[in-house]
This record gives sequence, structure tokens and C-alpha cells, in this order.
Amino acid sequence: MTRFWVLKILRTVLTLWFVVTFAFVVLRTSGDPVVALVGADATPEEVEQFRQLWRLDDPLWVQYFRYVFQMATGQFGISYRDGREVLDIIVERVPWTLMLGLFSYIGAILIGVPAGIVAAIKRGSTFDNLIMATAVFGFALPNFFLGILMILLFSLSLQWLPSSGTGTVWHLIMPAITLATFTAGTLARFTRSAMLEVLDKLYIRAAAAKGVGYWKRIIFHALPNASIPLVTIIGLNLGELIGGAIVVETVFAWPGVGRLLVTAVSSRDLAVVQGLVLIMAVTMVLANLVVDLLYGLLDPRIRVQN
Amino acid sequence: MFTRREVGSLILGAGALSMVGSLPKANAADRPSLTIAVDNLWANMATINGISTTSRRIFPNFYDNLVDRDYIKDENGLIFAPKLATKWEQNGNVWKFTLREGVKFHDGTEMTAEDAVFTLSPERLWGAKPFEPRGKTFTAGFKRVEATGKYTFEIETDRPDPNIPSKLTGYIGFVVPKKYYMEVGVDAFGQKPIGTGPYKVTTFRSGEIMVLEAFDDYWDGPPPVKQISWKIVPEFAARMAGLVSKEFDFIVNIPTDQEAALEKYQGVTLKRVLADNYPALAFNTRPDPEDNPLVDPNLRYAMVQAIDMNAIVQALFNGTTEHPAVPFNFTEYGKFYDPKAPVKLPYDVAAAKALVAKTQYKGEKLLWHITRQYYPNYEAAAEIMVEQWREVGINVEAQILDNFELVYRRPYHLMNMSMSSDFIPGDPYQPLWLDWGPTASRSTATWKTWDPTPEYLAAGKKFDEAIEFEDRKKAYLELSDAWQKVTPGYYMWKSVYNCAHRAGIQFKFKPNGEMRIYGDYFKFV
Repeated sequence: MTRFWVLKILRTVLTLWFVVTFAFVVLRTSGDPVVALVGADATPEEVEQFRQLWRLDDPLWVQYFRYVFQMATGQFGISYRDGREVLDIIVERVPWTLMLGLFSYIGAILIGVPAGIVAAIKRGSTFDNLIMATAVFGFALPNFFLGILMILLFSLSLQWLPSSGTGTVWHLIMPAITLATFTAGTLARFTRSAMLEVLDKLYIRAAAAKGVGYWKRIIFHALPNASIPLVTIIGLNLGELIGGAIVVETVFAWPGVGRLLVTAVSSRDLAVVQGLVLIMAVTMVLANLVVDLLYGLLDPRIRVQN
Repeated sequence: MFTRREVGSLILGAGALSMVGSLPKANAADRPSLTIAVDNLWANMATINGISTTSRRIFPNFYDNLVDRDYIKDENGLIFAPKLATKWEQNGNVWKFTLREGVKFHDGTEMTAEDAVFTLSPERLWGAKPFEPRGKTFTAGFKRVEATGKYTFEIETDRPDPNIPSKLTGYIGFVVPKKYYMEVGVDAFGQKPIGTGPYKVTTFRSGEIMVLEAFDDYWDGPPPVKQISWKIVPEFAARMAGLVSKEFDFIVNIPTDQEAALEKYQGVTLKRVLADNYPALAFNTRPDPEDNPLVDPNLRYAMVQAIDMNAIVQALFNGTTEHPAVPFNFTEYGKFYDPKAPVKLPYDVAAAKALVAKTQYKGEKLLWHITRQYYPNYEAAAEIMVEQWREVGINVEAQILDNFELVYRRPYHLMNMSMSSDFIPGDPYQPLWLDWGPTASRSTATWKTWDPTPEYLAAGKKFDEAIEFEDRKKAYLELSDAWQKVTPGYYMWKSVYNCAHRAGIQFKFKPNGEMRIYGDYFKFV
């Protein structure tokens, strides 16, 4: 067991190091932050002064080691754009992203999983076809398109819902539905496939032969066995929550982490982008760890093997 | 039956109706609030480090200039009016300014000459390592700035400069409080700025919102609005829906092809103003890359003559703006503007073909670096221009790149740019000399696109030193000729700023993009 955890931690550290290095290299090769900061008309003298101010005139390897050291010690630095602490900037956005993400995430699970179960037990029926067609529509429709359609319908024409921003629970409805549609569609398809695989197993037939009721068989025998792939996909989605919904947050002017990332990337605010990338990577790694633990809880065979 | 939103609107409307007419002296609690949906807000609101179109829109609501341009009395804003400075006079190299007394900053401290001097000081703008380095561009020739009394100060320049009051109508003329600025530092100041304007900044969350509240101790009386929220709504559909459904009172930056659709909604008023700014392209006139065919001026002349820019402007802007046929002969330059100025390189396909034939050009690909979505309709115009050049045998590939740093990476033959024309109101100094001259980034940066010719530099020196109008106009024409002889660039059209507001508002949009929510520029009706 100790070996298992040591390997997990080593793998996590390696993943995080790879992510921060990758972010550093990509950001340095995709554009000079100083030019983005001071504008197109700045003279070379002005550009140089800003470069010195932000220590971007140091050799690349010096910048890299300083950056890795800062990340390792939890110092995210100062935003190039507005001079504020990166951590403060990120922390003030996280609650908004979590609110939107969790609301849409729970909604997607509550709709997607039951829809997948029903589609599986009614396999081949009109009901199944209808659910699957809706699921395909849900994850095939681009977020920005669905978002704009909803704004035009519910804000412009019907004037039922606010078009953007935050403030009331009404503001949450359209972005949450837009975000949940994709996840619910994905979950419905995964649930259906996993359930179909399990429903044909011998132990389900044995349970039926022993006189276990239909819904009891579905909920207590089939669903737990079908949940391993579902936990994987739900876990991955959970890890993505902190990354926010870049497109949805932009379309609905939702002040979350996703929009912060867009602004930071377009203005080459390296410190903010690097901080965000690290936080997202940590979240994703932790989500994977939780998924691994859940595997053991759900399937005693995995627990025993470990 | 009313929708939930309509009920809210009726309540707001009733509130607004009770306040019909002028509200300059109203109590803060009685005044309505405004929400303005903007496409973006600059992350820094310091007067110089925060220079951008999006901050200029807001600045005059919380900063005041020393000298003001009056766009009410003159549509080109060529009449100057006192603002924080009430009097100014020139004596040789020295300008003496008298400040308005009793003006307060938002923190309650009084504005004095010490603040004005600090605002224009070398430590802030033009010294060796100033707090706001871009200030150097706007303070060329400054030698001394000194307080001579509590409300008087002097600016000394290295030679007589008749344009100092003009320059103080721009960014460098926004007065900042010395004590607060020095206490918090330039970065923190840019996050919570303090000025003497009619509104004070109470909330600024970069990338999200800026909230201004009425400053009732404003020297010109309380402003008409209790609170203004400048809210970032990047998606145009959301801005439009918000305006129509009365969530927002104003929206800005409406795509040209959406203007007609927006105007059809009842209660929506669209405002357009021709801006003091010109999207353009720069020809790389230098032998870098070595085989650059554009070093031959005939090829550059041919490229200009091959473009039917009037047709392009008509198609893309539906006649709402114009193409300046003669560079630097801009209408906003008043007496400098000549409607009959000769067009040296008019649209003429046959002439363009003949010019191409005179060069060594054999159809090599010319790269045009363009910043993605930086200037409205630029990419669309580029597509048409590439085809028009193809017609005369010139092979141009427009490369759309994500940012200016990528645009500046060689090799390139053409690149996008824009130039403002309002640094000295009514005078072509900025686009013709400041932006192309020997200290401009265009002729000094690593990505420079031209080397000013001796003829241009000689004419520029004369222009820079000319004080009397007749001398200056003569020098201007000479300088413009020298520039056109090289033709290192091509001015495409005059930018258009637009916005829309709900019914019940009377608003005048300023050509520099300022949205003043007070005075003669804004009223509830």
C-alpha cells in the first residue's frame, strides 16, 4: 500500500513539473508579453524599461528556475497587467466558477444518468432513440451557439431572463443550462453503454431467477457494476470544473476562472496564466486521485488487488 | 401581461420620469443609476500606463484635464475651454498656468499647483526612469515644470512651443494627486485611481466591472447620475439583448453589420462618431528581407493605385465613414485641411499595372502581417485588397496573427497599424511627425518599417520649429510631400466609434471616444 501511495505522489509531482515547464515554454514562444502590455506604439526604450521592471531581461534559464521555485513555494507572483497578486486575482474568481460548475454539474448528473439508465432498459424503443438523439444533439451543439441562441430567445425576444452577468439566481439559469447540456449528453451515452454491458451479465439473470424485483435488480445489482466507467467520466468532469467553462463564461460575461484565462492569455499576462495552469493541473490530479480511491470503494476486487 | 423584466423596467421608468429635466443639483439619493455594457476594460486606469481606447472612454468621468476641448461649440473640438486651469499665457519658452481654486480630489484633499506639477514632472513622465514611461512620447521638449504659487505653475520647454495647452487636453493633462499617488505607487494607483472628476471610482475588478459613484463635491456641481457601472459583456448578442430588455442603459462597440438590426428596436438610439484615428498599413520599405521587392517605391505606388478604397469603405461601413484620399489631409485639422488637395496616387488600375511593369517585381509572395480582430473590418478589407492587388499582378498573402509580437516578427512586407490624429488638436503634428519621425517606434524599433529620408527629416525640422500658422502650413505641405514621395504607409479610413442607448437619454459622443456622463454631453430627457 505504501508503495502504491509513493508511486502516486511521484507521478503527481512529475505531472505537475511537466505541466509548469510546458506552460513556461509555450508562453515564452507565443509572444512577447511586454509588447502586449505597452501597446503597439511604444518606443524600444519604453519596451526595455518594462522588460527590466518585470525581470524579463534575465536569461531564459534564470527566469525558468525562478518560476519553478516560485511555483514550488506557492508564490504565484504579480500580474503584469494590473500589478495585483496572482493568487488574489484567481481566488476572487474561483467561487463564481464553482457556483456555475457545480450547479450545471449536478444538473447534468441528475438528468444524464437517469436518462442513460432508461435508454438502456428500454433498448431499441422509440424512447431509447429519442433520448440518444437528444444526447447526441446535446454534446454536438457548440456551447457558444447554444448560448447565443438562448440569449436571443430568452433575453431578447421573450425578455424572461437576464442576458449576462451575475447578481440573482436568474443570471445562473442560461449559462448553467448551456454548460450542463454537453455534460448531460455525454453522461447519458456513457450510462447507456455501461448499463447495456452489465444487463446481459449472468449475475443479473441469476438475480432474476432468484426472484429479485426488476427495479431492485437495476438499482442494486446493475447500477453499481456499471458505475466504474461513469465514475471515471464524472471524475474527469469534476477536475475540469475549476478550469471553468471558457466559452460559456465569455458568452454570458460570467466572472469566473475561464474568462480570466482568456483575458490573461490574450494579454500575455504570464504570471496569471502560469498560476491558473498550475491550479488546474493540481485540481485535475486530485480529481484523478479521488477517482482511483472510488474505484476501490466500488469494486472490492480492485481494493483487494491494491 | 407584463414579463418580470417589464415590471422592473416600469419601476425604473417611473423613477426616471420623476427626474425629467436637468439634474445638476439633485441629491445623490434621487438620481438614477446607469449600467453601461462595454466590450472590454483596460486593466490599468493610471492616466498614462492605462492609455487605451477602452480607458479613454471612461477617464474623463473621474479625471479632469487642465485644458478642455469644447465639442459642443465646435464639432472638431478646436475651441479650448478652461477646466482645471482657468488661465494660461505664453512668454517665450515658458507657459504660465493658473489653476482653479477650491477643486477637490476624491479623497477630499485640495488640488494645488504641487499636484499639477507632479502630474507633469520628470519623475512621473519624462525623467530617466519615470513611473509612467510612455509619458515621454507626449512631453518632448519639456525642460522644467515648477510651481510658482499655490495655484500657479510654469512649464518651460527647450524652445517656444505654442501647443502646450493643446497637449494638456490629452492624457498628460489629467491631474493626479501627488500625495496619494506616491503613497500607493503607480500600480496600485492604476487599480484605485483618484482624480478630480465628477465621479469617483468605488469598485474596479479588472476584466469584469468598474463602478463609479457621484462625487458631490465636484467643482462644477453634483453630476446627474448616482452610480455608473461599466460592465464587461464580451458577446455582442448579450449586449444587444441587455439594451433592448433594458438591463443596460448604454452599450458600446456595435458591429457595423448589426447596426441596422439594432436600430429597428423601439427605444434604442444608435450614436456614431468619426474618430480621430485611422487604421492603416505600413509598407516595409527596408531591405529586410534582403530581396524585399517593396524597396522599389514604384511597387508601393502601384499598390496604392490598385486599391479602390472608396468602394471598400462603402461596402464595409455603408457610407458611415470616409477614406482620406490624401494622407494627413484630415478634416479635423481645420485650417490645415484642404478639400482640393491634389491626390497624387488615385485609384487607377491601368496606372498601377504600368508602375508594376517599371519594377523588377516578378510576382513574389508579399507577406502582410495583420493582428487578429484588432481593427473593425480590417481583415474583411484585407481580403478585398488582396484580390485588387492580384488584378494588377501583385501577389499578397494576408497572414492573420494573434498578437502584435507575432506581427512584428520578420519577415514581412506589410503590416497593420493605426494612427491617432488628436495629440495636438487641429494640427497634423502627431500622425505626420510624432508617429513617423526620427524618434517614432516606426523608425526606431527592431520591427521598423522605414528609415526617414534626409528630405523628410529636413522638412520635419522646419515643421517642428514653425510657430506661425502660415510657416507651419508651408512646412506641413513640404513634409507631407516628402512622406508621399516614399509612401511608407497607406491610410485606409477614419475609424468609427459607436454606441447605443435607451430612450430618455440625450447624449453627445466625442470623437476621441470619451463618454462623458455629465455636463452638456449627457442629460436625462
